[in-house]
Amino acid sequence: MNQNLFRSQTMNQNQACYVYPAAPATPGIVTPDVTFYRSIYMDGSITMDDGKVVTVWGFTDNANGMNNANQFPSPAIRVTEGQIVHTVLNVPQMLIHTIHHHGIEPAWQNDGVGHISWDVQGTYTYQWKPAHAGTYFYHCHTNTVLHAEMGMYGPLIVDPVPNPNDPAGTKRAFDGGPTYDVEAIWACDEIDPNWHTLPWWAGTCGGNVGLNNLQPKYFIITGVDGAKSALTAPGVAVKMSLGQTLLVRYIQAGYFPQKITFGGLTATVVASDGRPLPNPVQVQSIQACSAERYDCIIKPTKAGTYTVQIQHLHWITGAVVGTAKTTITVS
Amino acid sequence: MKRRTFLKASAASIASAATASGLLTWSPRSYAATISKTYYITDGYIAQPDGTSVYFQGYSQATGSLDVPALPMIVNQGDTVTVTIVNTLSTTHSFVIDGLVNSGPIAAGKTVTVQFTPNTPGTYLFYDNQNAPYNRLMGLHGGFAVMPTGSTNELYSGSPTFVQQLVWIFNDIDPVWHAAVAKGTKPTTAYQPLYFTINGLSSRPPGAAGNGDPTIDAMANPSTKLEGSIGDRTLVRMLNAGMGANSVHIHGNHWEFLTKNGQIRSDVWLKDVLYLDNNMGKIDAIYPFEAPPDAYPPVTTGRYPMHLHNEMTQTAGGGLYLFGAMTDVYFV
Ligand SMILES: [Cu+2]
Ligand SMILES: [Cu+2]
Repeated sequence: MNQNLFRSQTMNQNQACYVYPAAPATPGIVTPDVTFYRSIYMDGSITMDDGKVVTVWGFTDNANGMNNANQFPSPAIRVTEGQIVHTVLNVPQMLIHTIHHHGIEPAWQNDGVGHISWDVQGTYTYQWKPAHAGTYFYHCHTNTVLHAEMGMYGPLIVDPVPNPNDPAGTKRAFDGGPTYDVEAIWACDEIDPNWHTLPWWAGTCGGNVGLNNLQPKYFIITGVDGAKSALTAPGVAVKMSLGQTLLVRYIQAGYFPQKITFGGLTATVVASDGRPLPNPVQVQSIQACSAERYDCIIKPTKAGTYTVQIQHLHWITGAVVGTAKTTITVS
Repeated sequence: MKRRTFLKASAASIASAATASGLLTWSPRSYAATISKTYYITDGYIAQPDGTSVYFQGYSQATGSLDVPALPMIVNQGDTVTVTIVNTLSTTHSFVIDGLVNSGPIAAGKTVTVQFTPNTPGTYLFYDNQNAPYNRLMGLHGGFAVMPTGSTNELYSGSPTFVQQLVWIFNDIDPVWHAAVAKGTKPTTAYQPLYFTINGLSSRPPGAAGNGDPTIDAMANPSTKLEGSIGDRTLVRMLNAGMGANSVHIHGNHWEFLTKNGQIRSDVWLKDVLYLDNNMGKIDAIYPFEAPPDAYPPVTTGRYPMHLHNEMTQTAGGGLYLFGAMTDVYFV
């Protein structure tokens, strides 16, 4: 069947197949309450604890036409329940990407799935209006198997509308949900450095480029190597005071199953996948599959440093293939 | 060993559709009945998305066909179920539902009839546990649904209700293992799946040969795709015949997560991702067909994907993203 492969007419390189480049007008577009501007980078890199440099791709914040520095993971999209949101994605000619707001359920044109709508080449405005506070993430949905592994994702947080009866500055996980003082966003992912040398269209026209067989060597937490750096990295490792409440937004950003344990602390899971649980559950650990999210309330009762572990489990054998670590330090 | 070559997966998929619509059809009964069914264990070859022809075995509707997976069965709680297995192959096979029935080895060329009475409503995998796990992976598996007595719209008595139901069986395929079994030998290499299916089919994206052909394209097949209007709550009985853990992700609505591995969940969580265990994991969930909650302006129609978020399963032959185990959801 390889003789019959569909090839994009609008691309001057013939490498990609089964992509659907377009950038039409957004149906029913209105003036939004909030706008996020995103472009893309494909020349990012992160340095692992063993010194090896791995290429990553992602989304930049290009508000006001300024292409801000490469951030990995991509800069957060944080909105309030009920806002009309625009995510304006600009993809330079020759490239093709999308944004899928994972867990957000908009009209199909704004869902960012190439084979159902289009892969963005040019500028497209995704319009959506989040109905449920919670933890989500956004990621590219073009040649997804590769582009998500390359790092094209970022957190997406929907906050509840502030309750007028709460003191100013009160933070809640969702309307009527628990309050918290300190927040951690842990996007846990594994990296196969061999995949990170592939071009963006790899495999789309056929041929075995190994996209059925992820062999991860690095295990990261929110972009930081979980071998050592994440134990202390600001923005990953948590510092809090006794008496404070921590909300961990755990995003399973890998492909293999993971098991997260909270270093002996008990976590109360209050929501998952952007929906409150009917009854919160208390856990010492959570085993999660790709793309699940769990919102966990932790109220330490003793000062100390707690080592959080994320074990990555082979998707076929279940064997632990790597462990990432960070800390919660309670003073 | 009898060998037939199937140029397309179409023979398998048409025969395994429960009805013309692909939905499991069911009329409620308050009395138990006797249900009889015959499956023929056959084998043959099915072309994969990259053109590779791979050996399979199946519980088929006739000696001249190959069904991967088998046509699903749906029965009433308390029914007397009689299944006759005709082994047309030169190897030993079986018919097993864990906790319900075990035919024991069925020798080459032999026919065995088993009888059992399922008393617990729910979703089950029937499969061949001989030469484990190879025969099951070769395609000898199917879905078995037990409805609560007298009920037409519940998974178990008192469960959230639905108006239509489907079975999704996921499988992953290592052609090296299949070739070894075809030769009557045991695989000697580490398991390395290269093709991924839902109800025996992979998808074919727009522009690909077979796109939209319900006999080839899992996005268009009536036994896999979800189709409904607002309120057409659809029960999906998910079974993992394969070896890989899956992450069943759906767009448009969240799932109502009802059971995992046969256990009724104490609360119904709303999830956009369901963790389907490797090696015979199972989940029951309802897709509610509510208006997509985050659309502005609001919508009631549209098309969305269901895909497995471990993403390796979205490929074929080590590449070809969009030729894996996925389907589509149609709000009509
Ligand atoms: Cu991309
Ligand atoms: Cu996703």
